[in-house]
Amino acid sequence: MIQLSYLDYIAAERKSFLHRLSPKLKIVGMVLVLLGIVMLRNLPGLLLLYGILLAFFFLSRIPIKIFSLTFYPLIFAILFIFISGFQIHFIFLIFLKVLCGSTGVVLLLATTPYPSIFSVLGRVLPSTFVTALFLTYRSIFILLNILEETQHALYLRGGFQWRHPWRSLTNISNAFGHLIIKGIDASEKMYESMVLRGFKNKIYYRGE
Amino acid sequence: MSHIHLPDGVLPVWLWVSGFIVAILVGTILSRLTKREELTRRLPLLGMMAAVMVLGAAVEIVPIAYHVNLTVISGILLGPSLIFLATFVVNVILALFGHGGITVIGLNTLTLSIEGVLGYFLFRLFWKVLKRLTPATFLATFIALIFSTFAMIGVVSLGASHYEKLIHQEGKGIFEFHLSKDKGDHHEGEKKESEINLRRFIAIVLPLGFIGWILEGVITALICRYIYRLRPDLLHLEKETL
Repeated sequence: MIQLSYLDYIAAERKSFLHRLSPKLKIVGMVLVLLGIVMLRNLPGLLLLYGILLAFFFLSRIPIKIFSLTFYPLIFAILFIFISGFQIHFIFLIFLKVLCGSTGVVLLLATTPYPSIFSVLGRVLPSTFVTALFLTYRSIFILLNILEETQHALYLRGGFQWRHPWRSLTNISNAFGHLIIKGIDASEKMYESMVLRGFKNKIYYRGE
Repeated sequence: MSHIHLPDGVLPVWLWVSGFIVAILVGTILSRLTKREELTRRLPLLGMMAAVMVLGAAVEIVPIAYHVNLTVISGILLGPSLIFLATFVVNVILALFGHGGITVIGLNTLTLSIEGVLGYFLFRLFWKVLKRLTPATFLATFIALIFSTFAMIGVVSLGASHYEKLIHQEGKGIFEFHLSKDKGDHHEGEKKESEINLRRFIAIVLPLGFIGWILEGVITALICRYIYRLRPDLLHLEKETL
């Protein structure tokens, strides 16, 4: 989550062919990747899809440290090892589906600035939903800043220690409580400034 | 625990498409029932609470592979109709970060919103009965999490036959001893093994979930207590205490 701002920086800063490609086309591409993931049920097909995504990943010169993000969802796929009765073929199939999905998403987020993504989505989805989505995404950055300050305070109060579970739980809960209250204060200020700038129920993006 | 971390292409199409249809229908009805001005005025708050939920989901409690959802506290603060939209938004963003596939967003919204909506009503009920904030919040969270976890297990069970198809697609038996038996036995054994695997899944999820329910119950109760100390107006409890 902390890498979100870096991801956004790369999306806005880099200038590869994929960065220059229209966001609409990239979203259509992502939908095609999803279709592929849903439809393909054999290892060679999924390997080919993953290979194409990897080629795009390296051709678009996205920093290699971002690549590790694509492995994160594998943690959740581990449950399938137990469901499948430890069947290697099934596990590979699931892991490849996970990797294709995550690589596609990271590729989209690292090559497309988020206002451009929301601008395209705003043409297809209801405006209230896209506005809520945009405000949530924006709020994550605000909260990450508050969290950084809170982490220092939390550290000074003992932070999280396995030896003192109750105190650690209280510290974490207070940090979340603090985050919520600060977040609500920030949301009230955000709403005031949005109304001042003429917000009714839809956010207009550049070029609309 | 109630958040389905299934990747794309694992659940049968009819299941995730139904999830989307029901989630969109419920979302449309709820947004029609909410006044437009009220919805617009509370959108930044909704966005902020959704962001809190996303951050909560990013904090992994490593030994039990659990992350807090903070859906109940968000439900208490947002109310039952806005929490539905918030969970929808949260699931879209979580799907982008790999917490469950994009196709599972609808089903995840339904299971998570059970937690938020039920948590809201249970909190109001327990507050009226017990008149004590910490136990009311803990019980509301604990019970809401039980319901949503069982909803998640229900969804995973509905896709069981599809997993079997995925496992068997190469024409090989999944379990080696099936190959040596005749066709009738094969199906019987398959069914039995599938049940066993689902049981195995439930046997993993429920004990871990139980620890998670208690942890999240305690964390939510402590957060609620903290908010009550600093901003009691946010919990809208004044009327009931009078």
